[in-house]
Amino acid sequence: MALFLYNGAKEYSYEMLVDSINQHREYFPLYKTDDLFAYFENLVKAIAAGRPLTLLDSDLSISEIEGLDNGAVNVPVKLDDTTYSSVDALVAAVLDSSSEITIFTSGTTGQPKKVVHSISTLTRAVRVSRGHTDDIWAYAYNPTHMAGLQVFFQAFANKNTLVNVFNLQRNDVYRNIAAHGVTHISATPTFYRLLLPYEQPYLNVRRVTLGGEKSGTQLYDNIRLIFPNAKINNVYASTEAGSLFAAKGDCFQLPTGLRDKFCVVDEELLIHHSLLGRSDSFKLDGEFYHSGDLIEWVDEANGCFRFKSRKNELINVGGYKVNPSEVEEAIDAIDGVRQSLVYGKPNSVLGNIVVAEVLREDGSAVTDVDIRKSLRDKLQDFKIPRKIIFVEEFTLTRTGKIKRL
Amino acid sequence: MEQKVLEIINNIRATKDMAPVASLNGSDNLRDDLGLTSFDLAELTVNIEAEFDVDIFEDGLVNTVGEIYEKLQK
Repeated sequence: MALFLYNGAKEYSYEMLVDSINQHREYFPLYKTDDLFAYFENLVKAIAAGRPLTLLDSDLSISEIEGLDNGAVNVPVKLDDTTYSSVDALVAAVLDSSSEITIFTSGTTGQPKKVVHSISTLTRAVRVSRGHTDDIWAYAYNPTHMAGLQVFFQAFANKNTLVNVFNLQRNDVYRNIAAHGVTHISATPTFYRLLLPYEQPYLNVRRVTLGGEKSGTQLYDNIRLIFPNAKINNVYASTEAGSLFAAKGDCFQLPTGLRDKFCVVDEELLIHHSLLGRSDSFKLDGEFYHSGDLIEWVDEANGCFRFKSRKNELINVGGYKVNPSEVEEAIDAIDGVRQSLVYGKPNSVLGNIVVAEVLREDGSAVTDVDIRKSLRDKLQDFKIPRKIIFVEEFTLTRTGKIKRL
Repeated sequence: MEQKVLEIINNIRATKDMAPVASLNGSDNLRDDLGLTSFDLAELTVNIEAEFDVDIFEDGLVNTVGEIYEKLQK
């Protein structure tokens, strides 16, 4: 019996997944849940049936998203009576599906933006082979985001076991890796940083993938100590385009067959629209999409490059993207606040943390605790500034704009 | 120094609607005993760095209050 998921003390087999899907012939097009098995069941059921699905973070407040009907969340919709005779039949139905999956990206202004993906974009990087039969995956990403979906599809297509370690504490992560013989880990650099310092090696792990943020060589050295048998690689994926290229070390290579789908203008990587999901918020320049990622060539003839930085001002907090304008808008709406300035500050735990400088109204006694409490109803936790500094004035740049550090 | 660390931790707890702790023990685990998440730990490092000019997480994870004291006494 192939195991599908370990989640805390609970375990679920692939057969349980098939049975549950066959028995409950309804699904939630808009589903918010903390229960990972229920989430995956709903995901697989919708996709196998070729139905549309919108993925929501369990802690997302619906008011953060434009055009989403709160009344439709967790309302079931009937499915036809199709049942699946085996795990293989279910996997085949999923990989062959014409479902459209809507996920959300932090927009460059204001609210999260919808991006609609087909199963073929989401599974572009999935590799199915007998070599992958025994892979056991640590599941270290948010399941509703692009990276979490990538890992899910890779594991599901090969009927691999997933071991949930998302948001677990260090000791529990290690306990799960050892107890379930994890062989593959894909996670943000922050996840690996939280596993430090090195105490003992974990020999079962064969593959370690980093994505989502820039990471330094010191981190690689430490990962090599903890997982001495693992090949380390880096993946470039985005909410807009899914997984595009993987590489060793910090260099990436444009895939030979897709070389004409990319170009570089003013150091910025541009991606051909045929590789993207669908969204009203994409601004195309001819046939190309501005990724906002600045790169430098290592070997231009062979399409090898390295990421330098982001063009826009999104703050990367432990792999989550925070738009400073959105946070400023929320702070500025609080009574007693005249204006705010939000920026990222480098941090040894999360890569960056969100910092807000706040200028109070005259006579206002609003405190940092007041501001953070009132933001809790408006913003997801990772967007809330962890440091609030009250200032008398902002430093302006020469062009008169508020200066971002 | 210990009083200041207590103050910083209680400030973080206050924003999470958690009651302040009266005192800290060296063996208190930051996550299990004091209820801090990785976001809270990030906040803790920033505030401790602002106060003592030491990045307690610079070379890896700190788990207990005692380990913070050690870093600050170096």
